Amino acid sequence: MASYLVRRLAGTIPVLLLITLLVFLLLHAAPGDPASLLLSDATSEADVLEARQRWGLDQPLHVQYLKFFTAAVTGDLGKSFRFAQPVAELIATRLPATVELAAFSILIAVTLAVPLGVWAGARPNSWVDNLGTSFGLFGISMPNFWMGIMLILLFSGSFHLLPSAGRSTYGVVGAQETGFYFLGSLLGGNWPGLKDALLHMAMPGLALGANMIGILMRVTRSSVLEVLHEEYVVTARAKGMAERRVLWRHVLSNALIPIITVAGLELGTLLSGSIIVETVFAWPGMGSLLITGVTSRDYPLVMGLVMMYTAAFVTINLVIDALYGIIDPRIRY
Amino acid sequence: MTGRNSKTLIAAFIFSLFAGAPGLAAAQSRVAIGVTETMETFNPYGDSVSLLYGIWCQVLGCLGTYDFDKGEYEGMLAERWEVKDPKTWIFHLRKNAKFHDGSPLTAADVVHSFNRIRTDPQSKQKQNIAPIASAAALDQYTVQFTTKQPTAPLTEYLFDRFIVTSKAIYDKYGADVADRKHPIGAGPYKFKELIPGQRFVITKNPDYPGMREKKQAPDELIFRIMREPEQRVTALLNGEIQIAQFIPPHLRERVEKGPNSKIVPTDSVEIMFLAMSPKFKPWDNKLLRQAVAHAIDRDTIIATLLKGEATRLDGPIGPGQYGYSPNLKPKYEYNPEKARQLVKQAGFPNGVDVDYYTPVGRYTLDKQISEAMVPMLNAVGIRTRLQTPEWATLWANVQAGKVPFYYMGRGSVVDPSVALSQYFETGGSPRIGYSNQKFDKLLAQERQTFDPSKRKKVLSEAMSLLTEEAPAHFLWRHQMLYGIAKNIDYKPTPSGRIFGDEIRVLR
Repeated sequence: MASYLVRRLAGTIPVLLLITLLVFLLLHAAPGDPASLLLSDATSEADVLEARQRWGLDQPLHVQYLKFFTAAVTGDLGKSFRFAQPVAELIATRLPATVELAAFSILIAVTLAVPLGVWAGARPNSWVDNLGTSFGLFGISMPNFWMGIMLILLFSGSFHLLPSAGRSTYGVVGAQETGFYFLGSLLGGNWPGLKDALLHMAMPGLALGANMIGILMRVTRSSVLEVLHEEYVVTARAKGMAERRVLWRHVLSNALIPIITVAGLELGTLLSGSIIVETVFAWPGMGSLLITGVTSRDYPLVMGLVMMYTAAFVTINLVIDALYGIIDPRIRY
Repeated sequence: MTGRNSKTLIAAFIFSLFAGAPGLAAAQSRVAIGVTETMETFNPYGDSVSLLYGIWCQVLGCLGTYDFDKGEYEGMLAERWEVKDPKTWIFHLRKNAKFHDGSPLTAADVVHSFNRIRTDPQSKQKQNIAPIASAAALDQYTVQFTTKQPTAPLTEYLFDRFIVTSKAIYDKYGADVADRKHPIGAGPYKFKELIPGQRFVITKNPDYPGMREKKQAPDELIFRIMREPEQRVTALLNGEIQIAQFIPPHLRERVEKGPNSKIVPTDSVEIMFLAMSPKFKPWDNKLLRQAVAHAIDRDTIIATLLKGEATRLDGPIGPGQYGYSPNLKPKYEYNPEKARQLVKQAGFPNGVDVDYYTPVGRYTLDKQISEAMVPMLNAVGIRTRLQTPEWATLWANVQAGKVPFYYMGRGSVVDPSVALSQYFETGGSPRIGYSNQKFDKLLAQERQTFDPSKRKKVLSEAMSLLTEEAPAHFLWRHQMLYGIAKNIDYKPTPSGRIFGDEIRVLR
């Protein structure tokens, strides 16, 4: 297992190299000049030239990329053009918001989709199944930004139940030191902070997780249906085991592999989805930072964020692969 | 633990979960504002957007501001100023100006701020002090700026822009710690909290002269980043914010129908125009440029597409902007017949083909407006192909002088001198590439004329010449719509700055 993990980790280096190179080339191929986009309209030509020099934009492309990558390997992601702060620092302040939102979405998705899927799978073509399947289809079909806007209109605009944007209410003590508002409040026993964090997270979490709910539900359903016809299930039933126990002990544990694979894949989609959802809900995470970076051609910021997203994606895949071994003892690395 | 005790505990827990936030003083008035700009840096010189200039100006303090009602510049930290000779300006600081820690604000702080704007590696505000060669403290309360050239519109560069920070705090802690930990200023509001990407909170400073009397000015102002218009409108209707910046015309009705909200419009200081670069054929022909001016039916576009939310421009600037004259000549009326004749006179009896570039989503209804203008141009024989590149591409090309014919806006035009020079003076920038010796001469003369009424006259002459020559056809200024809660009395300013002491909380 250990040697497998080491091999997999080593394999991530060329992946990062290729992806950053590709993004770097795409960014530079796109027209638009950071200096003209970021500096004031009234900036003199001399100051624009000076800025371009300071940012290293006057150097040949391959030199710029090599500089970026050699620095990035040592953990230095450079300084953002737009914010004149180290990119790593900017990402660090935004990372908790994205992680907390993503974790919350997964929590919603798994707690809703898996029981629903098992239920639907155990009673195919019943009303539960039909309802669950329609629900799943709805989740898959709705684009998350649209879902977000609808939720805002409904729960903030009409019912005035939930805050429409942002991560916290000013004046309600939040766990701002760590950046993890929900977790920090929970661990610190700060109930108003916890409630505030939860209220702010509810809609973006649902909008982001809706797609995953739909897909996970369908996969769980079909996986459960398939396992239900295995011989060991018949044996378990023949032994007189209670149906509930058969379902949760024998069926679900054997149906988990495809569910976890899909959940892992969906995590990647979730990360990319967060870019849009964060914008809709003014969620101060990495996604909204990436949008700011792209529109102002802030090369170091975009590169740094893309590296983070890539690393996250690779890590998720690695964790999923490692999980197989734990869930199914037959799988050995 | 007994059963009863545990029940009480659980009940207390549930109550605390759903009870409101504790510790909020009820007497405090708080106004939250949904804004569109990002706020990421603690460095007051690290960004150059109207909103942040306004926030820093009322927290740290700035030399002065422009009063749009009176149409003149007013001192803030500077109580008065004089021009000693064409290149020497003297600013007299208010002697009672004090930092929030009680120390006096002096000329040394102003000179320090000048140096920081010029040399701070994060500074994005160098353009504001571009005309100034040096700054010196003549005594504790007097600052002298020496300009490189005679610059009559110097206040246009400095006011609402020149933020003053404490030299003592900078010397003690260095830039980064001073900005992050000790944002102590001399303005009517104090720094409370900045969470990058989320919000900026400032609180009233009762010790600032005149602030005790402004009892209705909010005790706390919260600027919240909400980039999506839908978000701002919903938050306003939901009572999360009391002022929402920049409501697009199609959401106006929703705000007006809200039981507790209203729409307050204000003219912007952004002038919209059609640029026709004489560097390129056929735009080197003045008659063709004038034909465009007669071909566009601005009034119809304003009345229909823009639903009346724009003010027509006859000349580069409009009411409220410095040097505006309602009598500026010539005025181009919508006259397709005359436009057709002009196209023929320009040497195009069979019409002419041109490419026309518009930004998409940058300005209010930019693409739709351009789509409406294309048939108007076609109708007079200027056969127009509409091009819609992405903003970053278009803007880079415009700045490099590669676009012959485009729709564009120039913001922050209070005194038009800087903008006119940037777009139309020979060597000002490659954006239009217009060159006219007489116009250059008038601009140079205007910059050296320190008597305001004489200067306005020269400016008028220059603007009249420009309108007649038509390297750009000036169209309108958009009205910016603000969504405001009914218990708030606030008249937004055209520049987009939001000052707490101009807001009144009614109940």
